[in-house]
Amino acid sequence: MKNKKKVEDIPFEEYLRKLEKIVQQLEEGELTLDESVKTYEEGMNISKICLEKLNKTKKKIEQLVIEGEEKYSTKPFSEKKGEDTVNDS
Amino acid sequence: MNNYTESKIYTVSKLNKYIKKLFENDFNLQDIWILGEISNFKLHSSGHMYFVLKDKESQIRCVMFRGNNCNLRFMPVDGMKVKVRGDVSVYEKRGEYQLYVKEIIEAGKGELYLAFERLKTKLKDEGLFSEEVKKTLPFIPQNIAVITSPTGAAIRDVITISLRRFPNLSILVVPSLVQGTFAAQEIAKKIDFLNKYFKDIDFIIIGRGGGSLEELWAFNEEVLARSIYNSKIPIVSAVGHETDFTISDFVADLRSPTPSAAAEMTIPDKNNLINNLSLLKSKITRAVKRNFELKTENINSVSRSLKYQGPENKINQYYQYIDEFSARLNSRIKHLVELYEERVKKDSQRLDSLSPWAVIERGYSICRKIPGKEIIKRLEQIEVGTKIEVIISDGKILSKVEKKEAVSN
Repeated sequence: MKNKKKVEDIPFEEYLRKLEKIVQQLEEGELTLDESVKTYEEGMNISKICLEKLNKTKKKIEQLVIEGEEKYSTKPFSEKKGEDTVNDS
Repeated sequence: MNNYTESKIYTVSKLNKYIKKLFENDFNLQDIWILGEISNFKLHSSGHMYFVLKDKESQIRCVMFRGNNCNLRFMPVDGMKVKVRGDVSVYEKRGEYQLYVKEIIEAGKGELYLAFERLKTKLKDEGLFSEEVKKTLPFIPQNIAVITSPTGAAIRDVITISLRRFPNLSILVVPSLVQGTFAAQEIAKKIDFLNKYFKDIDFIIIGRGGGSLEELWAFNEEVLARSIYNSKIPIVSAVGHETDFTISDFVADLRSPTPSAAAEMTIPDKNNLINNLSLLKSKITRAVKRNFELKTENINSVSRSLKYQGPENKINQYYQYIDEFSARLNSRIKHLVELYEERVKKDSQRLDSLSPWAVIERGYSICRKIPGKEIIKRLEQIEVGTKIEVIISDGKILSKVEKKEAVSN
């Protein structure tokens, strides 16, 4: 549980940096067999996490409708084509 | 009237020079702003500009020399309402006073321009533009909000480009006026609202398409600038077309020249990211594989050298040594034995030939005194009557000496 929360909190780019570091470490070839197995597994795990992070969000286009000082709702956004930005009121 | 003296009679040029001095010494006429409308504008081939500035009741001649007008950002035309800055002085040659113009700004724009400059300086001094307070945008945005007109081209561009780059993105469109008296106030309110109720939004794009300075004015107002500055959610300012800078641009955490550019700048290309990921992955696999190969090679070479240096090999070496040694020993012993046998054989043959028995065999005999068994070789050893034994090949003969007779030879 604690681990899961951590993954959520760490941003994608940090994982990407970790991954790049892992590549570098492995390419330097100075790890022991045990270490390189561990590092490999870590790398595969991180790339999985990265992919998950990329696919996490669902496509959603919504429009905010403010109904009062503290009241609001959202509705699907639909473009009104044809009318351009000439008059905004 | 009667007392004119020579000294009080001016020449025209002296008079004009005097009047000119009066003008130039009156600070009310120096470096002043005058509002009016341009007419009779002429740009001389020398580069100097000549025109008349007028209002409904009056007019004044103006000249703007090339050295001053080269900084003008527009070409004045007749009928243009302007504010000009300059000194009133006299053109002695004609005895006409005129305005020597140093700066012209369009009157309508001028107001805004000055307001813009004033606010810019004020907010800058307050630190609202400081790079240190600018927030960083997340690398992978998931939820973004766009405050703009829901019917304009801007929102369409942002949505299209964002989704092209990152197909699974959540976009919240927050409709707002983007021009007119209430636009700045409304955008500011929407920013505050999002900060209050939509804390998980990664950043907010505020913007609109290009337009005149008046149309973009909302983005130059202090109320909006402060709201942008106070926003906990990063703000991307996306106003106008390339060249227009607004106060919002300066305060925002990121400035983009157009709404389309805002999407390009803030939304990463998912395909690129995925390609990059698989590249890294294959690099990792390759590196690990190579590592394994290297390690295997190492193990092989170590075990090879272990075989040469390890105890097993030592023992085998000893075994071999022992084997070799014992073989050598065996053959040596065998050789020795053979040698001895040979020698013994020879010796025994020689012994045989030396044995008195062989001689006796051939017919010789041995005489010995009976007592003492002393072998008799000379006459002096015996007396007549001495008992002797004669040994022959198959026994002995006991006898007594009868006579001693020497042999002379």
